[in-house]
Amino acid sequence: MSELLANLALGFSVAAHPYNIGFCLLGALVGTLVGVLPGIGTVATVAMLLPITFGLPPVGALIMLAGIYYGAQYGGSTTSVLVNIPGEAGSVVTCLDGHQMAKQGRAGAALAIAAIGSFFAGCVATVLVAALGTPLTSLALLFGPAEYFALMVLGLIFAVVLAKGSVLNAIAMILLGLLLSMIGSDLETGAGRMTFDIAELSDGIGFSNVAMGIFGFAEIIRNLEMSQESRDIVKGKIKGLMPTRQDLIDASGAIARGTVLGSLLGILPGGGAVVSSFAAYTFEKRISKHPERFGRGAIEGVAAPEAANNAAAQTSFIPLLTLGIPPNAVMALMVGAMTIHGIVPGPQVMTKQPELFWGMVASMWLGNLMLIIINLPLVGVWVSLLRVPYRLLYPSIIVFCCIGIYSINNSPTDVVISAIFGLVGYWLTKHDFEPAPLVLAFVLGPLMEENLRRAMLIARGDATVFITRPISGTLIALAAGLLVVAALPMIRRRRDEVFVE
Amino acid sequence: MADGVKSPPNGAGLRFKVRAPREFYGGLALIGVAIVAIWASGDLPGMHGFAFGPGTAPRLFAGLLALVGALVALSGLIFDGPPIDSFAIRGPAWVMLGILAFAGMIRGVHLSFMTIPPLGLIPSTFAAFMISIFGSSEMRWVESLIAAVAMTAFCVALFVYLLQLPFQLWPWY
Repeated sequence: MSELLANLALGFSVAAHPYNIGFCLLGALVGTLVGVLPGIGTVATVAMLLPITFGLPPVGALIMLAGIYYGAQYGGSTTSVLVNIPGEAGSVVTCLDGHQMAKQGRAGAALAIAAIGSFFAGCVATVLVAALGTPLTSLALLFGPAEYFALMVLGLIFAVVLAKGSVLNAIAMILLGLLLSMIGSDLETGAGRMTFDIAELSDGIGFSNVAMGIFGFAEIIRNLEMSQESRDIVKGKIKGLMPTRQDLIDASGAIARGTVLGSLLGILPGGGAVVSSFAAYTFEKRISKHPERFGRGAIEGVAAPEAANNAAAQTSFIPLLTLGIPPNAVMALMVGAMTIHGIVPGPQVMTKQPELFWGMVASMWLGNLMLIIINLPLVGVWVSLLRVPYRLLYPSIIVFCCIGIYSINNSPTDVVISAIFGLVGYWLTKHDFEPAPLVLAFVLGPLMEENLRRAMLIARGDATVFITRPISGTLIALAAGLLVVAALPMIRRRRDEVFVE
Repeated sequence: MADGVKSPPNGAGLRFKVRAPREFYGGLALIGVAIVAIWASGDLPGMHGFAFGPGTAPRLFAGLLALVGALVALSGLIFDGPPIDSFAIRGPAWVMLGILAFAGMIRGVHLSFMTIPPLGLIPSTFAAFMISIFGSSEMRWVESLIAAVAMTAFCVALFVYLLQLPFQLWPWY
């Protein structure tokens, strides 16, 4: 316990450094700024803003990224409430009751409850991350190459299960991502692989190029297809920012339950944040005495999913920081950022760079606080941003992305590569292939191959090692079980319902 | 097998009815990617003893991709599915052109038919904005020019002055 406090104290001493607070604030601000734009989700926001953190020192960069992440998420809920456009799957449920509240003139209360719920969930989850970090790191020591490989398989299968649409399509995207990650030099021999004798490909395809192309550019091209009306924004006035006493009482239970649910689901690899908000909403509706209020502006319907979403976002740092395995696409982006700063995510981060680890944990909490402080007064500003017509917005985003990608390596080729991935992403969505599993697999690819090769070498070529070792065998069995469940058509139909609701 | 896959995807010679074109042609394209990957990694050494060679994993995953691609394509023959949405031309074309213009202008480029000198950040940003804005059918000249100037100024302020990234701003500086 005292160790926990000492660790948190170290974290806050790092995070509270004026520079780092500044980075966190800037991150949360820019994150909200971009996240609030309709049609741009959390992943796209983080992908677009990744390059601006490259010039900073590692600790500052990661703290700023954490700020961007929370800002983007909060921005997403702002658009959900005000204009009924969810930036991403996670905030779809917030739209249901949040926008209804906005229509009744209670947008301020909805936004405030979302922020308060997120903040409470953030506080609890921060303590949880700090408490669980150390024990889980010792668990990581039990992990050999076979176990790491098995865990990554499990994570990828989770991504498959959570993807919309066909399981086969999602598996295909995983394999495509793995294959793309193998372009470039071989880790052991240095032999160029699948480079087609193009010099720029010998270092492999940069992660940010893929992410920016598939999420950023493809998103823009898709949005351009939509008619103006579907993008146009309800112009309402926001009156009365603060929720009433009754609102707070109504929402408090929902916030607490959402926090617990979200914290638990977030630890699981494979995108807990999305499921958790759906789960929290469904749960609230089920236990409510007046379920008919849901969908008509029930404040619990905003509070629970927002709290769950944020708690899960926080606890999803646990598998990343302790095992080095990103549980979802945003965390995958974080790994990309860490690698660029020369940090290999995993258990050694906590022991070798405690100030980085605990600083990040503390900055999560600070990020949440920033959101409450800066965003509530700024709601009016975000709304006016939504009035900028899309025809001016999208070229700005493109230019911003271009400079961002170019500045990573001062390489025009990177810009061209991400343009190509923009077209690829556009094509993929036309054929019902979801890009998120591809990006996750692309990040995990090198790690997976390395552990696969090592495990096979240690086992002297015996592939059954993944099943016979207890931890690895359990993980593989879990993954197989999940896959079977997801593939059963009946359950698939129910899953679609959950995501349509 | 490769021949059947590379046949043009208009279904001319197929005896089966394509029920879900998104899946069917998507699957075929994945098989195509897998074949290219297998061909491209064909010259890499494979297993020696217990150790993976550089070519083992790419061929392994490409093989799996071909298999899953085939299953996806097959499911497109068995189950019914929605038709493929039409692909827009205008939006993607102008957006791509804008991005390529940025890539070509920022550091200059030598192509077989033309050479662009390094023009620097300000002209590249302005050009990329003004080209990509044609992707929308709602484009208006005056506001676009104003927005392009404003955005260029914003980017210079953010990337060059605030983040201190080394950029060449003008063709001559």
